[in-house]
Amino acid sequence: MATNLLGDGDHDDFMDFQEELAGSSSNLADRKFDAIIGHIEDIIMEDGFHSLKDDFMEKHYEVFEDTEENKFEYTDIFNQYTRLIEKYIEEQLTARIPAFCMEEFLKQLLKRKDKLEGEIFEILYTFSDFVAFKELMVDYRADKEGTCIDMGDNLIVTPFTVNNTKAAPSSSSSSSKPASGSSSTSGPSEATGSS
Amino acid sequence: MGLLTILKKMRQKEKEMRLLMLGLDNAGKTTILKKFNGEDINTISPTLGFNIKTLEHKGFKLNIWDVGGQKSLRSYWRNYFESTDGLIWVVDSADRRRLMDCKQELHSLLLEERLNGATLIVFANKQDLPGALSADEIREALELDNIKTHHWLILGCSAVTGENLLYGVNWLIDDIASRLFTMD
Repeated sequence: MATNLLGDGDHDDFMDFQEELAGSSSNLADRKFDAIIGHIEDIIMEDGFHSLKDDFMEKHYEVFEDTEENKFEYTDIFNQYTRLIEKYIEEQLTARIPAFCMEEFLKQLLKRKDKLEGEIFEILYTFSDFVAFKELMVDYRADKEGTCIDMGDNLIVTPFTVNNTKAAPSSSSSSSKPASGSSSTSGPSEATGSS
Repeated sequence: MGLLTILKKMRQKEKEMRLLMLGLDNAGKTTILKKFNGEDINTISPTLGFNIKTLEHKGFKLNIWDVGGQKSLRSYWRNYFESTDGLIWVVDSADRRRLMDCKQELHSLLLEERLNGATLIVFANKQDLPGALSADEIREALELDNIKTHHWLILGCSAVTGENLLYGVNWLIDDIASRLFTMD
């Protein structure tokens, strides 16, 4: 039983160590387990993980629409997302922990299924939750398109200011001195803000 | 199975149930879903993808998946089988012409390994329409008595009036709970 708790790797050393501990093997396994969880926490906080997620969203967001009904396509993309994250976490754990064995870790996880607490498990859970994923993509798209509309404002606003001043290039914000019509005053200030 | 899938399954066993609602097109799946959720049912158009509703009921979190039933869409159903605790099969009781088709689709679903162990409720919908077959007639037409692999129940219902929807969902939940969760 106790030997099953060990990953592969430095078997001999580990076995000796284990025997010395005689009886506290579950503590060792717990510490090992906690260490892995700690690594996962690190991994998903780091830039590498965020850019992985961002790249993925950037690639797929245009498929997603803010409507109640879902396209079948979402499911494929969602499955890709889950696999991508799983694979990344596994690769990172393998790189960080000598002789890391995912299968073994999953066994340990199942053993502790009634006492897994902490934000990390909530976060990991959302990675496998379709509804949360759809929301993420829809929000990402809204953000993206929000930016696009700002750019549109710029293009519209510029000719207004041209009326009163000399032909000012769109980027020069100083052109909005005393604007002519009161309606156009809000325009330039928005334009400068977003450029 | 990977890390995220395992975590998800562990979580589901706690207090969540996944219900999959299928049936031929125009059976009334989306209408049942919305009616059950207390939403307006006057502007529902044919489902070309799928809908999800998450609702709390009887102390459980129900994740109900409603997938479009048109013939060309049925090959997608398989993508939603995983982890299904309960199958809601919806029948247009007034659509006599397609009962054979309906029976075949249902029986082939029940052969699916990933639906093993899922409880089945058949809603004989549209009881409010004149000419609708009764639940008993549907039961015969679909040869439900031959089903030995799943717990099942058939109920006449109307998504429009709401008749029997609550009763059916409650039965489904109770049956799943008695299988899945220990009494505590």
